[in-house]
Amino acid sequence: MKRRDFMLAAGATAGVLMMPRMSFAAEGVVDIYFTSDQNVIDFWTNVVKPKFEAANAGVTLNLVDGGDGAGVSAIGDRALAALASGTDPQADLFEGFDSRVTVGGIDKGLYVNFKEANLSNYSKINPQAFDIETNMPYRGSQVLLAYDTEKLDPANAPKTWDDLVAWIKANPGQFIYNRPNKGGSGGNFVRRAIYAVNGNDPSKFTVDNYSPEADAEMLTPAWEVLKDIAPSLFEGGAYTSGNTQSLQLLGQSAVTMIPTWSDQALSAIDQGVLPETTGLVQLTDLGLPGGFTRLAVLSNGTNKDIALQLCDFLLSEEIQSAVLSELGGFPAVSWDYISADLRERFADIIPETIPNFPSGDWEKAINDGWYRAVAPNVDPAS
Amino acid sequence: MTTIDSGHIAPVQAERRRPYGLLLVAAPVLLVVWLIIWPIISAVITTLWVQTPEGSEFSTGTYQFFFSDGYSLSNLSVTLWTTGVCAILLLLICLPIALYLRFSDSKVAGYVQGLAIFPMFVPSIILSFAFIRVLGPNGTVDLLANAMGLPKIRSPYLTAWGPVIGLVWDNIPLTVLILLSGLGNVSNQAIEAARDVGARKLQVLWYIILPRIGNSVLVAISFAVLGIFSSFTLPYVLGPAAPEMMGPFMQRTFRELFDPRNAITQAVITFGFCIVFGLFYVRSVAKNRTP
Repeated sequence: MKRRDFMLAAGATAGVLMMPRMSFAAEGVVDIYFTSDQNVIDFWTNVVKPKFEAANAGVTLNLVDGGDGAGVSAIGDRALAALASGTDPQADLFEGFDSRVTVGGIDKGLYVNFKEANLSNYSKINPQAFDIETNMPYRGSQVLLAYDTEKLDPANAPKTWDDLVAWIKANPGQFIYNRPNKGGSGGNFVRRAIYAVNGNDPSKFTVDNYSPEADAEMLTPAWEVLKDIAPSLFEGGAYTSGNTQSLQLLGQSAVTMIPTWSDQALSAIDQGVLPETTGLVQLTDLGLPGGFTRLAVLSNGTNKDIALQLCDFLLSEEIQSAVLSELGGFPAVSWDYISADLRERFADIIPETIPNFPSGDWEKAINDGWYRAVAPNVDPAS
Repeated sequence: MTTIDSGHIAPVQAERRRPYGLLLVAAPVLLVVWLIIWPIISAVITTLWVQTPEGSEFSTGTYQFFFSDGYSLSNLSVTLWTTGVCAILLLLICLPIALYLRFSDSKVAGYVQGLAIFPMFVPSIILSFAFIRVLGPNGTVDLLANAMGLPKIRSPYLTAWGPVIGLVWDNIPLTVLILLSGLGNVSNQAIEAARDVGARKLQVLWYIILPRIGNSVLVAISFAVLGIFSSFTLPYVLGPAAPEMMGPFMQRTFRELFDPRNAITQAVITFGFCIVFGLFYVRSVAKNRTP
């Protein structure tokens, strides 16, 4: 074969190989984009996907790791553009996504309103988990404290916020939390500090009551508290850049205590990333906040109806129980819809209330305020 | 080619060839215009012309904010500091490696070269977590130091030195390769001649080798600086919470503060610094073209 012929043939082959990527989304293949960590995608691969595909012949779930929120929100923006031009968004379902992130998406009807979608299990959702009607909660998780029982006797583990602050100050260098915008464990630790200076009253914060005056009045005292404990943190005020890095520092025995997501801590202990001697404790005066992970379904997706069926399936007792037993999270449906023996088994991580800090303007204020007020406490040259 | 040009059919061929050449260049040029030049222009426009209800209006507000905001400025200065320190360290580390690889013909040199190129194949996110394991608190280095009875030292993890170490390691291969290609221009005869007239090793380096590889050093440094200035993963995972380098700062402003205009302003300012090093590179390439 002549070189030129070879190049032509190779070019044509490469072109053909690229074609499926440019084609439209296939009927029956539900494209799901994830923002959650690998342990959640594993849960879908091993539990949700086989069960749903077995129950619905001809349906395939295509699980795509969207990286982080930014990755999936870019796909959301693309879907909005596709909605305007009437083309195929090549995506059906977003996992761990807030439909508010796509600017103008809800107003233009990009996301399915779950309340109007007649899902048979919709009424089972825990009232605490509701957000807006275009976000459907399907699993929950709460931040708690993980600590090394070899260094801290469980009997002396802090049970209230004041105990925790006292413990941190009495044990300099033994506590670290991550930057509030880089992972929920540190983010919710910071939010717990905000609750603490506002009378432990989560109801003071709602999605729409943010104002610069409220910011100064309600957040500034919390920055003072966090600045006050900073010198007693690991390395005199260092902050890890994510949930996983905090777990790593606890695993390397560099610190004694960290705030962590319940599901991540349980699976880390399970996999040996954290030793068996890791203790978990929740504050009793007011728990560390948590949150529900939500789904959004695109109204212009090719497989919208199957995606909605999948959402309904996710709220079924089968999957909700698996969220507890396989994922270490907690269900989005009310506890009454979970089998009694599971309720018994997981009694210690079942929270009575899950403070849920509002997103939106408050979140933005925290992400900016913490960096400006608390973080620079660290001298980079030290 | 020159033999054909001198023949009588040359004019026809040259005419036929010309549009092909332009066409071949057109694709990359169009790509650069579309994917690089146009976004830059559009970024500058977005930050300078603000959409108001009455229409768009010229404003340098975000730039004024950036240059009057102590927090933003400290982020910019830590970025410049990191870039500068990395550039100096890279040169100090890579020049000896490149010199060794160029002038050694032992078998070990092959292994050294393999080792020097190795970081190129390690994704930076993996490097970051490995760094925490090795150099982080209670990491391998700590354990070894402890076993030898040495005192515990403060880990560079989560300090400004964390990203420096990571970025230097990450940039060694490219720098070594560029310096090595530059050293290829230094002929053995020139060095032997210098030695014959009694030049010592340092004199050979200073008077013979360095003048000939000045261009490569400039290219290597501008490449490293361009990459380091806008790096994201390593400063994000290994660096302190504040001050942040421009990469994580931009990302946070855009994603978590939902403030695209300020994020784009930060990007334009970052670009302004990078273009200076880009011009160094372009200048040295152009200088090479016209001997």
